[in-house]
Amino acid sequence: MDLDANRSLIAAALGRIPDGDRAALQTVYRLTSAKLFGVCLRILGEHSEAEDVLQEVYVTVWRKAADFDARRASPMTWLIAIARNRSIDRLRASRTSRNMESIDVVADVADTAPRADAALEGVQEHARLHGCLEGLASHERAALRGAFFDGNTYEDLATRMKVPLGTTKSWIRRAMFKLKACLEQ
Amino acid sequence: MSDTFDHSGLPEDELLAAEYALGVLDGIGRATAEQRIARDRGFARLVATWEQRLAPWAAEIPEMLPPPHVWDRISGALPPQPARPGLWQNLAFWRGLSFAAGALAAACVAAVVYFGAFTPTEPLVATIEGGGQRHFVAAIDVKRGTVAIVPAAFRADATRVPELWLIPPDGRPRPVGLLRPDAPVTLTLSGDLASLAKTDAVLAVSLEPPGGSTTGLPTGPVIGTGKLTNL
Repeated sequence: MDLDANRSLIAAALGRIPDGDRAALQTVYRLTSAKLFGVCLRILGEHSEAEDVLQEVYVTVWRKAADFDARRASPMTWLIAIARNRSIDRLRASRTSRNMESIDVVADVADTAPRADAALEGVQEHARLHGCLEGLASHERAALRGAFFDGNTYEDLATRMKVPLGTTKSWIRRAMFKLKACLEQ
Repeated sequence: MSDTFDHSGLPEDELLAAEYALGVLDGIGRATAEQRIARDRGFARLVATWEQRLAPWAAEIPEMLPPPHVWDRISGALPPQPARPGLWQNLAFWRGLSFAAGALAAACVAAVVYFGAFTPTEPLVATIEGGGQRHFVAAIDVKRGTVAIVPAAFRADATRVPELWLIPPDGRPRPVGLLRPDAPVTLTLSGDLASLAKTDAVLAVSLEPPGGSTTGLPTGPVIGTGKLTNL
């Protein structure tokens, strides 16, 4: 799918939702649900739960579409944030992350080559983020990954990485600080 | 580059925003952050900026087609469908249509039938005119006993509301309901009103105090009338 055309199609459809246009929501769903379902499924790890949350996500989109500001944010960024937040809320309500496999910090290999999804955001943006993540220490990157993709809390990460809670906190905080500096360069 | 930065770290606000966007906070931490997002625009913006920084990472998550029943559930969870948004509620559209010359009444009526939420089995229509103005256009769905009525060139009156009457051959006006000066409404023709809605009847609009006439008969001026006809 053409990247820019898709982005503007989604943004335009989001703009019609506050008028009560159901067909516009359906358009947004058609163009984005595979991505958002992937996101929910990755965090929740279970189909029926991911389906429940995906439903919540689009009902939220229906109610909050007026908050979306096409001048400030890309539609996919906005939608992915909703999908991640609803999924993580669901995880927290069940009090445990799905993925609690141990993370071997020493053996943590660098991320594989970026598999940028061309239909989503600029490949460039992904490459840029990937480059900055590569600049982090491997334990920092592993901690960020656990939080972003598995919805792990600091405590989950401490368990998975077999380090004290305070250590995961300082790793993540240092990593966020470095990431920001790198992305702003 | 790992150790070349000042390790004083992010300011407290921004750290919380980053932690929220990353998803690493526990339930209480998330609730705290969400409260701040709701009442602190600056903080909400910090969160949005961090979401933007991290979102490209989601490109690594493979797409997965959700099963078809998910959309059905979403569709079922939405509030009941309003009467045809868009053109249907766009007063300028109706006024524009109304001011157009020629066969505009027919066009209005066709549009009412087309955009209206009923099946046009033998619809009865009327254009309610008076004082050289076409005020409303009405279409009655006889089968369902509903009347859809759209303001055309009606001018709102600050102190009074338009009320619709059905006048059968006996000449006694029957109240149908209050209209809106700025939007289409669909009213139900209750009880015997439906049986009176025939081509020998007339629709009329009067101006009444807010809440409508309390006497069962028009108390204010009748601003327009229109004979019911078959489309």
